[in-house]
Amino acid sequence: MRAKDIMIPVQDFLTPENTLKEAVILLKTARRGEAGVGVKGLPVLDADSRIIGMLSMRDILKAVFPFYMTMMDLGDFTWDGMLEDIARRSSQRKVREIMSKEVITVPADAPLMECIDRMLKHNIKRLPVITEEGRLTGMIYERDVFFVITKAMLN
Amino acid sequence: MTTMESSSFSFWAATLIFLSAYGLIISERIHKTIVAVFGAGVVLVLGILDQHEAFHMEELGIDWNVIFLLISMMLIINILRPTGIFEYIAIKSAKFARAEPFRILVVFSIITAVLSAFLDNVTTVLLITPVTLLIADALNVDPVPYLISCALASNIGGTATLIGDPPNIMIASKARLDFLAFIYHLTPVVIIIMACYIAAIKLIWGRRLVTTQELQQKILKMNERAAIKDSILLKKAMSVLVLVLIGFTLHSTLHLEPATIALFGAGLLLLLSKTQDPHHLLAEVEWPTIFFFIGLFVMVGAVVKVGLISWLSSQMLRLTQGNLFATSMLVLWFSAVASAIVDNIPYVATMNPLIIDMAQQIWPHETGLQLLQHADLMPIWWSLALGACLGGNATAIGASANVIVVGFAEKAGRPISFLRFMAYGVPITILSVAISTLYIWIRYYLIRF
Repeated sequence: MRAKDIMIPVQDFLTPENTLKEAVILLKTARRGEAGVGVKGLPVLDADSRIIGMLSMRDILKAVFPFYMTMMDLGDFTWDGMLEDIARRSSQRKVREIMSKEVITVPADAPLMECIDRMLKHNIKRLPVITEEGRLTGMIYERDVFFVITKAMLN
Repeated sequence: MTTMESSSFSFWAATLIFLSAYGLIISERIHKTIVAVFGAGVVLVLGILDQHEAFHMEELGIDWNVIFLLISMMLIINILRPTGIFEYIAIKSAKFARAEPFRILVVFSIITAVLSAFLDNVTTVLLITPVTLLIADALNVDPVPYLISCALASNIGGTATLIGDPPNIMIASKARLDFLAFIYHLTPVVIIIMACYIAAIKLIWGRRLVTTQELQQKILKMNERAAIKDSILLKKAMSVLVLVLIGFTLHSTLHLEPATIALFGAGLLLLLSKTQDPHHLLAEVEWPTIFFFIGLFVMVGAVVKVGLISWLSSQMLRLTQGNLFATSMLVLWFSAVASAIVDNIPYVATMNPLIIDMAQQIWPHETGLQLLQHADLMPIWWSLALGACLGGNATAIGASANVIVVGFAEKAGRPISFLRFMAYGVPITILSVAISTLYIWIRYYLIRF
């Protein structure tokens, strides 16, 4: 099996000019595939449907985490309401500022082992599948690859 | 004839390499460390300076005293840092200032200045600004005054001691001045400058920083003790640091160089820390800075050897007509202006041999310490230290600490423009250099104390 056989077509995506508020609304409502499972990350597309970034829940967590806290051990000196304040202040920031810009993709005809290779080496759970022209055609999720493994083992 | 040709080739080649390197460093098109290391490589390959001169000769080569003092202090701080002591100090001082925004600004400026006097300025700024930003967030006040004053105070405080700022380390090593000499001659003027600086920030920001009692409670409720992550290591590290500081104050009595004291302290602390992983502690040493110094020393050695520095020093003497007070003033103000534009490290690396050469021209019969520490030469060394360290405050690129806070401001979403930094930096620089001018004039030329 190859990437295109298990990928799920993309229905929901963001543009770089979306605000973070719009992004979280879409994250709340977006569903993938027929199963209608929620998603924890969305692709960011430019006007030509080329993928230029990924925005995940983790990226949003990073966006509201003040950079100065990464530099020193200040976790003990935070206060109740700090997260909510920063979250409110961040709601108008643009997706392009926050998204992960280094997107790891696979071509549609990549074997599944190549997909796992990308996922493990880059520690990602969502893998965009792109056409030869570089357009996004679908997404491969960790659990869909896992289903292939389960099937192989149980047969 | 051939020697004439080859020496003239060396002169122009060394000068050209030196000037191009300076130009590239100012333009920031290539990282300064790469410029310095490559420049040094070219100087050595062309044989302008040979490897023996570069690695083993005190007058021309790499100043290992500076290199090992820097590496050792960085190692000590790298071990001390994860203990949480710096977070503790910062939170404790914010509470000490009763969480009032302007009081915090003053207390943090003083803490930064004191820490900078003993640690590298950049390290101090990296340790203080994260807490500063947290507190500004808690009080909902503009972080920019805190960031700018942190950089300015670190540059002022760093001027106070031998180990406070790299220019002082370099001057001390070249002029063989000891730790106490810096305390005796520079610390008093730095204290005066700090006092005036605090009066100045009171005028600038005194009324502008306001918060509410409710927000202040957030800080007053913080428990600074939670910051201490490893109290056993902290005790060991503090003991070693105290030992090193005692060693510094006694180093000339003990006939030990500061680098020896610091290296011993770093070795001892590494042993006491029982680390199984010296690799990461060593990896965190600021190697780009260390190699910047190494490359610079070699390039400067080359222009000393070919006679460029000697020519420059004669020009300076002609300009001041051998008047040493005039020379002092020229060195002080020129250093301040130069350091506002160029990194003060290459500047001082160039000025050190220039001043020694000038001294040789004035007192041709003196040698060794009699020459380096000639009573009439001392005010010039202090002028160089004051000008080079304080001048860095004028612009956003004048000192590494400034570059760092400007970067932080941008990350915090409150960018500080080049001109805005100058609006505070230039008056503070003029104020502090003017105080230094009076100090040098009164202390060394008027009452000769």
